[in-house]
Amino acid sequence: MIDRASTFSDPGIVALLREKFVPVAIDQAYQRRQQDAEGDFYRKIANQGPRPADGGTTQGRYLAEADGTLLGFNNHRDSERLLRLMREALARPRPQGVAAVEAGTKDARYSPVPPADGLVVRVHSLVLGGYPETEDPVVKIFQEGMGRDNLWIRGDEHEALARGELPDSLVVRIARFHLVDNTRGEPPMWAAAEIRERSVALSEGRLSGRLHLATADGTREFRAELLGFVESEGGRVKRFDLVAKGAFRGESPLTRHAPPGEFPLGISFRLAEGGDPADTLPPQGSRGWVDGYLRDR
Amino acid sequence: GGLAFSEFEELHQRLQIWRTIPWKTSLLEAQSIAAREGKPIFIWAMDGHPLGCV
Repeated sequence: MIDRASTFSDPGIVALLREKFVPVAIDQAYQRRQQDAEGDFYRKIANQGPRPADGGTTQGRYLAEADGTLLGFNNHRDSERLLRLMREALARPRPQGVAAVEAGTKDARYSPVPPADGLVVRVHSLVLGGYPETEDPVVKIFQEGMGRDNLWIRGDEHEALARGELPDSLVVRIARFHLVDNTRGEPPMWAAAEIRERSVALSEGRLSGRLHLATADGTREFRAELLGFVESEGGRVKRFDLVAKGAFRGESPLTRHAPPGEFPLGISFRLAEGGDPADTLPPQGSRGWVDGYLRDR
Repeated sequence: GGLAFSEFEELHQRLQIWRTIPWKTSLLEAQSIAAREGKPIFIWAMDGHPLGCV
């Protein structure tokens, strides 16, 4: 998240990425494991760097030729260092006559796709207050950062919504995997047993109600009020707008430095148009567990 | 027991980089474009969810 607001907001880096490179953003936990052409090509590049693909995380920024030759590796937020590496890579002659790698059969374990006849909904979250004031620019980035995710809706749930019904499986999925504070990092998802109250209804296109989630030890809790609107036409949902807002409390090892005590958290859901490459990315809660994410509860 | 409509509108408009930088999400798609256009590939390899980082 901090890279979004620092390194990848640097005008020089943005210009080179737009004009001189082909930029790709991946979760390397997939690519370094998957047994297919995509995984092979990634490991070919990563294994030339300081973090071999068989030794744990390979995270970082890799500059590579289309033939898989590594041009440089960087895992530092210093924009000047990254810019220098990019310029050095561009100064080298490009290999000629490189062919596109044939994709072949994809490793389905690491190539999740949205459910057939389902829907993709963009989910954005924001802490709405409660942070202590700070002049530290890095801390400010975390405090003002927006969490982003995708919600996947199954085909049968899509059909139900189009009929004006609200499937319980969808309410549970929204509660467990999307009513989370992901604004400072990757949060833990809620267990099914941590849904303490679930009173949500869809009536004449209006979705409203409340959800209460809490861990058994009381360290994390969210009491959310919901309001949304669902519209369909010809058996297809054309609008899915939903907002959840309420008092959140707690943090986790990867989302440290939450505001003290209870703080207001807002989460907004909107049907994806499909034109953004981000719409193809699987939900965070499905990482390594798509079936578990999509099942009834 | 739901949210007020005014809060729904305000938050939805307030809450709702991928346009600034045209990130691909498939390495092979990026490789194919790089081969065709004679450009190098820039891979941002994360240990986590790209939506959360990008």
